[in-house]
Amino acid sequence: MLKLPLAVAGLAVAAGCWLVGLFFLTFPAWWALLTHVLPTPTAVSKLCRPGGLCTTLPGSIHTAPNPHVLVTIDGIGTVNLAQHQLVLLPLGAALLLAAPWLTRAVTGADRSLIRRLLGPASLADRVRALQETRARAVDDSAARLRGIERDLHDGTQAQLVALAMKLGLAKEKLSTTAPADMARATQLVDDAHRGAIEAIADLRVLARGIHPPVLDNGLADALATLAARSALPVELVTDIPERPSAAIETIAYFSAAELLTNAAKHSGARHVTLEAVHVPGLLRIRVSDDGNGGARPVPRGGLRGLADRVRTVDGRLDISSPPGGPTVVTVELPSHA
Amino acid sequence: MRIVIAEDAAVIRAGLAEILADRGHEVVAAVGDAGALQAAVADCKPDAAVVDVRMPPGYTDEGLRAAIAIRRDHPAVGILMFSQYVETRYAADLLAARPGGIGYLLKDRVANVAEFTDAIARVAAGGTALDPEVVVGLLNASRHASALGALTAREHDVLALMAEGRSNTAIADRLAVSGRAVEKHISNIFSKLGLPPSNSDHRRVLAVLAYLGT
Repeated sequence: MLKLPLAVAGLAVAAGCWLVGLFFLTFPAWWALLTHVLPTPTAVSKLCRPGGLCTTLPGSIHTAPNPHVLVTIDGIGTVNLAQHQLVLLPLGAALLLAAPWLTRAVTGADRSLIRRLLGPASLADRVRALQETRARAVDDSAARLRGIERDLHDGTQAQLVALAMKLGLAKEKLSTTAPADMARATQLVDDAHRGAIEAIADLRVLARGIHPPVLDNGLADALATLAARSALPVELVTDIPERPSAAIETIAYFSAAELLTNAAKHSGARHVTLEAVHVPGLLRIRVSDDGNGGARPVPRGGLRGLADRVRTVDGRLDISSPPGGPTVVTVELPSHA
Repeated sequence: MRIVIAEDAAVIRAGLAEILADRGHEVVAAVGDAGALQAAVADCKPDAAVVDVRMPPGYTDEGLRAAIAIRRDHPAVGILMFSQYVETRYAADLLAARPGGIGYLLKDRVANVAEFTDAIARVAAGGTALDPEVVVGLLNASRHASALGALTAREHDVLALMAEGRSNTAIADRLAVSGRAVEKHISNIFSKLGLPPSNSDHRRVLAVLAYLGT
């Protein structure tokens, strides 16, 4: 409904510009033609075509000697075009030159109308983005659960079965009184004890990988523990006056842990800085190292996974890692997921 | 006896080797994946193999498939499978392949040294050793629930122990009754289930399980 009047207006302006411009520019030729064709003063108020079809003009064109080309338009007035040649020529030239821009301006309104009608609405874009990040979040969480089951099965469960076997053997030895059996039983109990201690330590690491208890005290404390445990010296800068939501703290903690591990394992750096700043509405975690640079997110890589996880809460991951270093990775998260 | 161990968790592999050595068996090979298992059995020709169901690379049923292949290629080798979980389907697959020389235990059962070594002895001798939990699974899967309903509670117990592959003497010990009472129960069971009586231990197991539709 909107397009038709707009199109007509566009056409009228464009055609008008070109035609009028051309007319004004070539006016001298017209004038010469008119005075030769109509040597004597003539009034033209009708235009007739071959075949006898005549149109009455809304005014008239007079030619008169010395030189006059009077154009009268009913209701507006009369102008003598011959007198205004000097003005008309540059005006015509200007109109012709300006014609492209004027045309573009009018059709510009048309173009923006098309874009609004045919392009995707921003709400649909948002929904699509949310669906993608949700699918990734669901896959991520299923993969984490499988990982936990495998860690428990291969780690803790295996250690406990081995423990039970040793103690079962020890029980048998202890039910007799032969000295060789007593010695063997002592050895078995010793081994079992060592195995139990190892299992406890491994389970503690496992649990920390699921949820570190220190995080309950807040991100600053948790990051301090991370920094202390890191293989490289870590300078920690935190400014977290208010705590973000628990889910955001967890994502921030594991992001920092992964980035510190990357720096220690891959960058060849000697020094790492970990910053955590919480301003109203935004939590920023930044890990910078003085290593070799060249960090890139690769498909199925850690940085890609990190970026996906950050995106599920509408966060952002920014990597600056030119070859030769230094590397700066910034994670921005909203205060509440 | 000469035994091959196939288990990917190093601590459990070491623990099994320790128990078997303590009983005077010779552990001719201890491997961590299905490929190495088949190679070891082909090279060493053991009397029995102790095999974990889940092994690398896929951690699904590599051990099971290797076991079925070994039973086909080396029928003299007894196989004792063990698993962290009861997978009734795996037990059924193993039993379907060939009668005798097969066992399936939960890893928990391995902690009971006497049961484990007893199981491996039965399996090496061509008998059967099924974990009670596996038997429950198989009985539950049975389509002949009505026939089982005809058994008394005591006959049920005897049936379950029989399905584990235990001898009459072992059943009598377990239930604290006389050997003659066990024989009487068994002949009642066979007649109620419509099975012919059988002497050999593993033939009894297979008769019961075949009737129960595995």
